Amino acid sequence: MLKILIPTLFLIPTTWLTPQKWLWPTVMTQSMMIALISLTWLNNSSESGWTTMNSLIATDPLSTPLLVLSCWLLPLLVLASQNHLSSEPSSRQKTFLSLLSLLQVFIIMAFSATEMIMFYVMFEATLIPTLLVITRWGNQAERLNAGIYFLFYTLVGSLPLLVALLMLQNCTGTLSLLVLHYSQPVTMAPMSSKIWWVACMGAFLVKMPLYGAHLWLPKAHVEAPVAGSMVLAAVLLKLGGYGMMRLMVVLAPTSKEMAYPFIIMALWGVVMTGSTCLRQTDLKSLIAYSSVGHMGLVVAGILIQTPWGLTGALILMIAHGLTSSALFCLANTNYERTHTRTMLLARGLQTALPLMTAWWFIASLANLALPPLPNLMGELMIISSLFNWSPWTLLLTGVGTLITASYSLYMFLMTQRGPLPKHMMALPPSFTREHLLMALHLLPLMLIILKPAILWGCFP
Amino acid sequence: MSTWRKMRVTVRTLQGFMKCPSRTSCTHGRRGWDRSFTTGPVVHNRFFKDLEKQFSAARDKLVDALPGGQWTPIEINPDLPPERADIVIIGGGVVGWSIAYWLKKKERVRDGVKVIVLEKDPTYSQASTVLSAGGIRQQFSLRENIQLSLDSADFMKNINEHLGVWNEDPVDIQSVGAKVSLLSPTQLKEKFPWVNAEDVALASYGLENEGWFDPWTLMNAFRRKAISMGVIQSFGEVTGFNCSINRVDTVDGETVDIKRIKHVNVRMANSLEYQPVECAIVVNAAGAFSAKLVDMMGIGTGPKDTLSGLSLPVEPRKRFIYVFHCPDGPGLDCPFLVDYSGIYFRREGLGGNYITGTSPEEDEEPDISNLEVDHDFFTEKMWPSLAHRVPAFEKLKVTSAWAGYYDYNTFDQNAILGIHPLAQNMYFATGFSGHGLQHSPAIGRALAELILDGGYQTLDLTALGFERIMSNEPMRERNIV
Repeated sequence: MLKILIPTLFLIPTTWLTPQKWLWPTVMTQSMMIALISLTWLNNSSESGWTTMNSLIATDPLSTPLLVLSCWLLPLLVLASQNHLSSEPSSRQKTFLSLLSLLQVFIIMAFSATEMIMFYVMFEATLIPTLLVITRWGNQAERLNAGIYFLFYTLVGSLPLLVALLMLQNCTGTLSLLVLHYSQPVTMAPMSSKIWWVACMGAFLVKMPLYGAHLWLPKAHVEAPVAGSMVLAAVLLKLGGYGMMRLMVVLAPTSKEMAYPFIIMALWGVVMTGSTCLRQTDLKSLIAYSSVGHMGLVVAGILIQTPWGLTGALILMIAHGLTSSALFCLANTNYERTHTRTMLLARGLQTALPLMTAWWFIASLANLALPPLPNLMGELMIISSLFNWSPWTLLLTGVGTLITASYSLYMFLMTQRGPLPKHMMALPPSFTREHLLMALHLLPLMLIILKPAILWGCFP
Repeated sequence: MSTWRKMRVTVRTLQGFMKCPSRTSCTHGRRGWDRSFTTGPVVHNRFFKDLEKQFSAARDKLVDALPGGQWTPIEINPDLPPERADIVIIGGGVVGWSIAYWLKKKERVRDGVKVIVLEKDPTYSQASTVLSAGGIRQQFSLRENIQLSLDSADFMKNINEHLGVWNEDPVDIQSVGAKVSLLSPTQLKEKFPWVNAEDVALASYGLENEGWFDPWTLMNAFRRKAISMGVIQSFGEVTGFNCSINRVDTVDGETVDIKRIKHVNVRMANSLEYQPVECAIVVNAAGAFSAKLVDMMGIGTGPKDTLSGLSLPVEPRKRFIYVFHCPDGPGLDCPFLVDYSGIYFRREGLGGNYITGTSPEEDEEPDISNLEVDHDFFTEKMWPSLAHRVPAFEKLKVTSAWAGYYDYNTFDQNAILGIHPLAQNMYFATGFSGHGLQHSPAIGRALAELILDGGYQTLDLTALGFERIMSNEPMRERNIV
């Protein structure tokens, strides 16, 4: 663990001490090495599941894929930001990279925490670098509004979580995930157990986001620079899912009744956000709403609490992380060339940038959950477990899948097919850096098809 | 009770004790430690009396600070244009606002495109739109011009359907409609007895879709409707463009720089504040000053007859309009008359006033550096011809006059619509040479179709593009006044 954490932490002095000419290659190389080393975590051979050298930081088959995803994402963030930051002064570039590295440290510590309070502190700590990235490097005046929504939605959701965790600590005497499974269920009056359930889950439901509390996400994603959007979509949303999966064990009997409205809300959110996507004009906004839809399915899968549901949720989280991040990168390549996010004005790009169309195609297919990509594996597991719980959910999930397919195709056809507008005749061709970025996103996604066991190990 | 009184007495004596230790050291009866530092009037703390005001002040602050309010921690000048927009229309005249309205009308979804209209002069003191005579005619020689006039007249007949804003006053464009019929000299003399028809061979009289209207009302109608649909209006002058340059070799072996505008630098009036507006498309509807924008981009500076030397052949030309009063004139029965010599006049109002103007000869072009009126031009060049055509005009008195610019296309006096080959994302809608106002609704629609649909849909105006300038084939309009 330290072999990952220390190099990530020392990425910050690296950025500040490297000469400007070697800044980006150095940071890229170091973060890539960290990512490759993190792949060794996937080699889980422990009986109890937990791989740990001490009792404070540990990995298990639930957190390992998420950790590997976040470590893999840091070099991609660096690669994606290189172009739009190249015109800024050196100290601002270094500040940006330091913020990303700091965010990475907090994320790694959050996913590998064994103590729930540590997880909570890191969960909150990730808000600060993200807020700074959104409000300082975003593109428009609306980014301030976006930052406020982002910060306060999550904070308001998570303050009750602190109280709930402290109460849990009081009752059980420990908050260590290693032993939380074996503790006695907490007994309290029915009403207060309901409130406690909401307090525990609220923060994560806002973070995921659940459909009713999702307003911060389109704003934050649209106004953030590309690296901010990528890390938000790929990793920070999964913090919510991870927290939910960890805490569900202690919420045992209350969840049977409390989960019901939230499952329905999540499924309804899939349908509603899918419909919203169909009439979006802003490309990044479309991808943001599609994130809400996919995460709605994940929330439903986690709240079902069957092994299939939880497995499906984990697989969908990883697959969605890679896919959504890839789509944001593609949207950014568009934006850097045409300076508009409006799909009406940036159409027919297959004629101008045919190689990028290939990546658009694969990313759109991944978004609509084409077999044999892991997106479909996750969705299928979740839909099956929901059907087992209640056959009526098939209506919502079926319609949701249909709408997901239609808006993904709509996005692809709108941006790539059709006549190229006259004002976009001579665009700069795709850079190798952009191709590398897309390959590093989509190749792991396709490789997971060959060995899905690395993601399925958690809940057999 | 007595203890209380004792305490009060003690306090008072203490205060008195504090207040006067030694009478000899005081100055003007004041002590050193209780001298107040204010020299103004004494301020009483009426907190409880002003409680109502305090509450409402606090509530206003709270409403501002909460999300949804207007307050931001960063002081943003509200007059500055936004940091980015999809389409920036440079020029807030009737053509610019018409394009803005049509863009919003065709955007298919609400807030589909973000449109800004930039106008450098909020008073419109030099804008060609408001200084125009406001006539509309279909009698052009070029097919495209005729179609544009027909469509624009059709638009203006139903103007409230198009430009009416809910809950606001309807648009009153004060137009006079007056199908073209050809009249022989005798018919002409019968219809208009006040005309001298001796040297007239043929007169063509437009019965429908011709006349005049109020240009300011049309422009404001477009503006009001466009703003109600979400177009942002900003007053500022464009001082430059940030472009990305792509150097390519043409088939002829020439190396040209294809420029793509990334930012439009807008400077506020009378200030050094500027805002670079990031945009995808720029529309040049700057009228008489369009060539300045092209120069800012550095286009057209190469040798002539090459692609890099292809500049925008539009320059401002000053034209005068005179208002005169003639009591014995044609009266209410006066149409918009365009004489063979190039003079036009029309009735203005109901009191025997008429508006007239003409284009001077090529070699007598007036100086464009200001909008001063040359009255000798009227007395020497125009009055004789007016008097010849309408004998009653021998006795007239010029009551007022003004001058305005034509955005004169020196190449062939017709509109230039479309993209310049070297400015990849700048659409032009300029060079109308005196008939821009009357074509503005149809031009707006054509540009909106070009931008949003990728090609002309209703009227095919490809003949008015840059290709004719590149291949040096002028499409002359013969009926220019």
